[in-house]
Amino acid sequence: MKSRTGRWVAALLAGACAASADTNGVEALRAEVKGRGWIAFAARTEAGDLDLFVCRPDGSAKRNLTRTPEWNEGLPRFSPDGGRLLFRRIPRKETFDNNHHGAQGVLLLARSDGSDAKPLGAAGEFPWGTWSPDGRQILCLAPKGFSIVQLDTLATVRSFPRKGFFQQPAWSPDGGVIVGVANSFGESWSVARMDLASGESAAISTTDSCTPDWFPGGTDAIYSWRRPGQKGYGWTQLWRTAGAGTPPQLVYAEEGRHVYGGHVSPDAKYVLFTGNGVEDGDPANGGSPMGLMRLADAPVIGGESPAFRSLHPKAGRGPVLALPSGWEPCWTFSEAPGKP
Amino acid sequence: MNDRIALIGLSLLLAACGARDRNDGADAQVRSLGTVEVTARLVEVPEGAVFHRDLYDYATILKYEVVAVHRGAVAAGATIFVGHYDPWKPRAEAADKRVQGIGGTVRRFRAGDLHRMALETPMDDVFMGGIVDKYFGKREGPAYWAVWTNEAN
Repeated sequence: MKSRTGRWVAALLAGACAASADTNGVEALRAEVKGRGWIAFAARTEAGDLDLFVCRPDGSAKRNLTRTPEWNEGLPRFSPDGGRLLFRRIPRKETFDNNHHGAQGVLLLARSDGSDAKPLGAAGEFPWGTWSPDGRQILCLAPKGFSIVQLDTLATVRSFPRKGFFQQPAWSPDGGVIVGVANSFGESWSVARMDLASGESAAISTTDSCTPDWFPGGTDAIYSWRRPGQKGYGWTQLWRTAGAGTPPQLVYAEEGRHVYGGHVSPDAKYVLFTGNGVEDGDPANGGSPMGLMRLADAPVIGGESPAFRSLHPKAGRGPVLALPSGWEPCWTFSEAPGKP
Repeated sequence: MNDRIALIGLSLLLAACGARDRNDGADAQVRSLGTVEVTARLVEVPEGAVFHRDLYDYATILKYEVVAVHRGAVAAGATIFVGHYDPWKPRAEAADKRVQGIGGTVRRFRAGDLHRMALETPMDDVFMGGIVDKYFGKREGPAYWAVWTNEAN
């Protein structure tokens, strides 16, 4: 039998070993987020098609929601209450185009555990359909303009000009503003916002900006930006801003990864993103691990990334969780997705 | 006698060659598609306006001077701005699953070339995607969408 002193020494050594094994705080972050709801994302199956999956925010308990080898599914979005899921489905022989996938195939509505999936229309209908803050409507974006559709009747209740917006719209949690990717604000595409009451719009990030989404409070937006001035083609980075007049802030960047698909946790403490070595998400292949980090740790620069570190010398190194490979992650604190 | 026959033959040959060189760019598509049809000269190809991208499909805005108006309300001599989809591709290969119904005989865009085009306006009603516009802030009015773009001279 060990003495009391011996047990203390053993405990201290075990603690020291655990601490050294988690020098960058990854395990602590993993434990911190594990019980905070579920993440939905699209990922390639062993059969080669794209299905929808859920996992815990630490990457555990991964489960296939759709299991449809004859189809590819993508662009999952939990309803604001976490009870339902919108996503798009295309024939397996087709490939999602990450600048057009919101208009590809059929928009479906399911319970957030993947059950009871029903198409809302025919292929191409309800393009870029995305949730209203109350979950009763969807916002759509087509060449003729924006439209707001009542989900229970599928009736269009309002239409208005798109003013150069062309992809990836998201409706603010307070219901007042749309953020999306738009022409009309520079020589190439920008992330811009449109006030729903007045129709006034303004860019919040010009030049090669995309995949915007809202913070839960509805004041800040997160988006991807391939910052000009990089060597060669450059790498796309994750940024946030509160809009006009507010300096944008770097969230995450890594030389060798194009960071897209930023999605903020419901409590605004964490952010999910994708980080593919190939531009545009590489949707025809296997994808790359998604990432998760604390927003309080931002800015974070991953890897060696010497050029990025010289521009952001105070940026930290993490921790960043490596999650399963996937695209378009979204997060709910609801437990409903975990109930098969 | 033989000299006269040879002279007539040579004249006919030269006339045929001349006829083959003249090309008004008209074909069934350019004469029927869109709501506007013009022959116009491409003023320039701004740096960075036309580039090959494997992963993105975009349109680029190019500047033209209208030489002749065949259909629609455009003034001869006017400057117009025209959006071309995936301009690094020959027009006959530019249509894809996302943007259908475009085409033409132009293989590449060169400053000074004459194009006969079937156009639609406003461009935003037809095309929803990324646009490279090197004339941003320097032009007024809506851009036209190039439906069919044929070489002319």
